[in-house]
Amino acid sequence: MRARELADPDFPRVTLSTPALTAARLLLDSRRHGLLVLDEQGAPHAVLPIGPLLRKAVPEYVLADPRLAAVVDETHADTLGARLAGLTVRDCLPDARHAPPVARPDDTLLAVAALITASSCPLVAVVDRGPGPAGDRLLGVISQRHLLDHLVRAAS
Amino acid sequence: MSDWHAWAAVAVFVIVYALIVSERLGRTAVALAGAGAVLLLHATDDQAAFFDERTGVDWNVLFLLFGMMVIVGVLSQTGVFEYLAIWAAKQSRGRPFRVLTMMVVLTAVASALLDNVTTVLLVVPVTLLICERLGLPPAPFLIAEVFASNIGGAATLVGDPPNIIIASRAGLTFNDFLVNVLPIAALLVVALVGLCRMLFSSALGYDAERAAGVMALRERDAIRDPTLLGQGLAVLALVIAGFVLHPVLGYPPSVVALVGAGLLVAVSRTVPADAMKEVEWSTLAFFAGLFVVVGALVETGVIDSIARGLTAGAASNELGAAAIFLGGSAVLSGVVDNIPYVATVAPITEQIVAGLPRGRDSGHVLWWALTLGADLGGNATAVGASANVVVLGLAARAGTPISFWQFTRHGLIVTATTVAIAAVYLYLRYFAFG
Repeated sequence: MRARELADPDFPRVTLSTPALTAARLLLDSRRHGLLVLDEQGAPHAVLPIGPLLRKAVPEYVLADPRLAAVVDETHADTLGARLAGLTVRDCLPDARHAPPVARPDDTLLAVAALITASSCPLVAVVDRGPGPAGDRLLGVISQRHLLDHLVRAAS
Repeated sequence: MSDWHAWAAVAVFVIVYALIVSERLGRTAVALAGAGAVLLLHATDDQAAFFDERTGVDWNVLFLLFGMMVIVGVLSQTGVFEYLAIWAAKQSRGRPFRVLTMMVVLTAVASALLDNVTTVLLVVPVTLLICERLGLPPAPFLIAEVFASNIGGAATLVGDPPNIIIASRAGLTFNDFLVNVLPIAALLVVALVGLCRMLFSSALGYDAERAAGVMALRERDAIRDPTLLGQGLAVLALVIAGFVLHPVLGYPPSVVALVGAGLLVAVSRTVPADAMKEVEWSTLAFFAGLFVVVGALVETGVIDSIARGLTAGAASNELGAAAIFLGGSAVLSGVVDNIPYVATVAPITEQIVAGLPRGRDSGHVLWWALTLGADLGGNATAVGASANVVVLGLAARAGTPISFWQFTRHGLIVTATTVAIAAVYLYLRYFAFG
């Protein structure tokens, strides 16, 4: 099997300007561990996992002094999600952003597995390289889970 | 030592100082490289650099800093500062100016016992929480706390690293600082509160509904380990008692702090490696390197030459000398870090004081002028002291940046006022009624 056959063309994706709350809802509804973030040209830019979104909901003063989490009353603690309002996906991406690894459509599953393992990224974007950056076409995404699922099925 | 060695020591010193001020390279690396350079150039030697506090590493300063870092590291884990800050805000019933006043006083008192950077690292997060509840911009609170930290740090021997250097060089005790600097520091905190009223009151609107959010905070929950808190406070009290009882016990502050640190680690059963995590090894290495670079100036006679030229003037006009020490130190400390400044000026001051005619205050007024000038001058600009830089960094990370000029335009007013009050204090206490 080749990467193009395993790539999920409907894998949820967002852009840098997508509201953070929308991205969070998409993550929850799709039951995924991360979303593919596309740049202005539609090229894979980053992966947005749950962690950075959750981090944005935690006030900076608690990150600086975790003991303060204990003093905040339950009513206020329950409203943390509102902190995502007004933020975009761009605001939530960690400073040390890593672009997702890109597989070619003809890559074998071993090549895709090697990419995922080497990059420690839960997703691989499958891109059909055209002439120049504008010619690139995103065929879909292969997630770590999807790949493992396929390998286990094939083995049994 | 030949003239060649003296010039080499001066050249290394100037390069080191320029690089520290430019902040292009890490200050610790620069100081250590400078120390290596003066040793390689034979401007000093290992005996002078490592075994003579007058011309090299002052181990009393390093071990006092080390001991206090360990004690503060354990204490900061107890949640006592968070407890006190929230308790203070609740006592103020969420009234913004009262909250600001309480935070200023708390910061000043904490800074007198802990180093300033540690104090602001503990106070800033809880301030951000309180400001969020009050719906107020944190900048006035954070700026006021920096000022309080630098003023409070002047009050005691252990409040600010320059004080430790000065005390070691001048042979001043913890009690000398309590008697001579604490009163003026307390007065300056009162003056600071007045200045804050003038500078910030327009930004401090009261909202009863939001104030209720402050009253809902549960300060008791900040203390997770009451036993550790009790042990920490008991050891801190013993250490302060050890400082104060120096005339009776005879133990230098470095020994008291080291014993206190060891005692706290032992009784609290803190894993030594965890206690050491709070030790700023790079700061200690910076001090060591700086002492060797400045020590080379002493060893080659450069400091002696400078001091000799100044001693005659100081002897004939001690009041003028004190004014220059106070004002000059305030101006320079506003521009450069006050630690390298004091490390350089302290040996010069030592020589000048040694050359003064005996009598009156025996030159101590110059040391107090240097202390107050260096500590208060740190408030002048956003880069005047380490605490300023740390707070601006924390504010930016919290999404409420404070610009250089936003800080500095307030800092210049506060510095000018506090230095003027300190000048009057020095004149009245040591000249008019001395």
